[in-house]
Amino acid sequence: MVDLSVSLGRLRLHNPILVASGTFGYAKEMAPLVDFAKLGGVIPKTVTAAPRAGNRPPRTVETASGMLNAIGLDNDGLEHFLAHHLPYLRTLPTAVIGNIAGKTEDEFVQMAARVHAAGHGLAGLELNLSCPNVSGGLDFATDPDVTRRIVRRCRDVCPDLPLVAKLTPNVTDIQRIAAAAADGGADAVSAVNTFVGMAVDWRRRRPVLGNVTGGLSGPAIKPLALRAVWRIAQLRAVPVIGVGGIGTLDDVMDFLVAGASAVQIGTANFYDPTASVRIAAALPGAVAALGADRVAAVVGTLTIPS
Amino acid sequence: MYHRTARVAEHVRLADRTYRVRLDCPDLAAAIRPGQFVMLRLPNTSDPLLGRPFALYDTVLDAAGRPVGVDVVYLVVGKMTGRLADVTSGTSLEVWGPLGKPFLDVGAPDHVRLVAGGIGQTPFLAFARELLGTRGFGGDAPRKRAAKVTLYYGVRTAALAAGVEDFRAAGVDVHLASDDGSVGFRGYVTQLLESHGTGGPLVGCGPEPMLHSLARLATAWDVPCQVSLETPMACGVGACFSCVARVKTADGGWDYKRVCVDGPAFDAAGLVWD
Repeated sequence: MVDLSVSLGRLRLHNPILVASGTFGYAKEMAPLVDFAKLGGVIPKTVTAAPRAGNRPPRTVETASGMLNAIGLDNDGLEHFLAHHLPYLRTLPTAVIGNIAGKTEDEFVQMAARVHAAGHGLAGLELNLSCPNVSGGLDFATDPDVTRRIVRRCRDVCPDLPLVAKLTPNVTDIQRIAAAAADGGADAVSAVNTFVGMAVDWRRRRPVLGNVTGGLSGPAIKPLALRAVWRIAQLRAVPVIGVGGIGTLDDVMDFLVAGASAVQIGTANFYDPTASVRIAAALPGAVAALGADRVAAVVGTLTIPS
Repeated sequence: MYHRTARVAEHVRLADRTYRVRLDCPDLAAAIRPGQFVMLRLPNTSDPLLGRPFALYDTVLDAAGRPVGVDVVYLVVGKMTGRLADVTSGTSLEVWGPLGKPFLDVGAPDHVRLVAGGIGQTPFLAFARELLGTRGFGGDAPRKRAAKVTLYYGVRTAALAAGVEDFRAAGVDVHLASDDGSVGFRGYVTQLLESHGTGGPLVGCGPEPMLHSLARLATAWDVPCQVSLETPMACGVGACFSCVARVKTADGGWDYKRVCVDGPAFDAAGLVWD
């Protein structure tokens, strides 16, 4: 028997396979296809304090082995989430990690406090410090000081709730941001959110996306995400949840060996909606193939020939 | 809902750049209803990466009348459909569905008028069978809902008219229109419909300007009208929030609704047209 359980700070998961925020709806959408008990956890779509209509369509476009999205955090706001989505999410036989985005530092803190006060029943809270598709400076995780402050202040208002900082790759040195999140008290960081990109229709001389730019995800970004995870893992300051282009068991194992303590399946949920559960089922075999009896024993075991 | 690899039982050309692909998938075929759709994806490749939504064209029955497969009809428009056209019988596609909601209930009218533009005829064959009570779907026994079904079908040119004989064989009265006059009425399908005057409920599928014209006619005639929308989708199941359309809300405003789970058929009077 391979022990699949992992701990990231105080966040405990019965296996390391999570599904990424924004790629799994509010879980209910996936219920006809996915046995949630097989997953380490689910992360529902980002919630903002007030309702947001989201960006004008087209909101997604496929690119070579990937896709650009600019959904724009289309959601009905935190109170609606607490009243309509959380009661369902609480019933799921797996860890549920909430995901919030504030428009300002204060709003992040207010939202975290509200989640805490709601008697949330969540296994953790992921702070979306890195959505590239909304105006108003939501890309907080480009600044280490801001990242540290938001994490610390959220930590202060919900001291018992494991916190995960979701980081943007659109920075010159992601290690500095991850170190700041760790310093602020994050239990883990998720690396990475999408890479800002764009698609053009040259015949019409127009951008394809309604928002002009969007976030690139899918297999195309896996090497970039893997390198970011490896860099953060080298800090040995904070556990890393690897995310970016993961769609197969091999992808998962690559991230674990490179230093991720857990992973999130994202865009693959769109094009292969049962990928997450199939990968989770196959994971013990791959861990055993490395001669390990627990998944935690393969994390960060990358060796670089001298 | 099913997600599986399905064998291509048959793949035939119906018209210029238009094909019908038949998939062996008994469980999905037994569950799907007219107006719903499936996502199809080419296996073993990440380019094209995402599945694409395709309306149910028809269910395939075995000799005993049991559903064993689904037919999808598509027009080659881009990378995925271009590769799809090269798929041969005996190979496999990834499929998930049934997705979306069935067509809205039309009640029990004497006459239902289906209005299609471009490749928009594809959801209407199964719907015509259901309305005429010649086939049951989703485990239901056949039940006649409308005395007569007419298809108004507009294409750019005659070579693109696909499946006309399937509709006629199903007992549908077909009126064609073409932009270049190469078949049927010369002009837009909505102009042809308008020339026939008011009638029973309208059901539209096709390019947005056509659907907008149809919605205007429905308002002028004060007849019910639903339209089946096509928008770019990444997942088809409601997870990605890509495929939104503007739908009027009770407070006089509007909100983006997901075409994949809240549609694809919407009451035309409830949509905000650009």
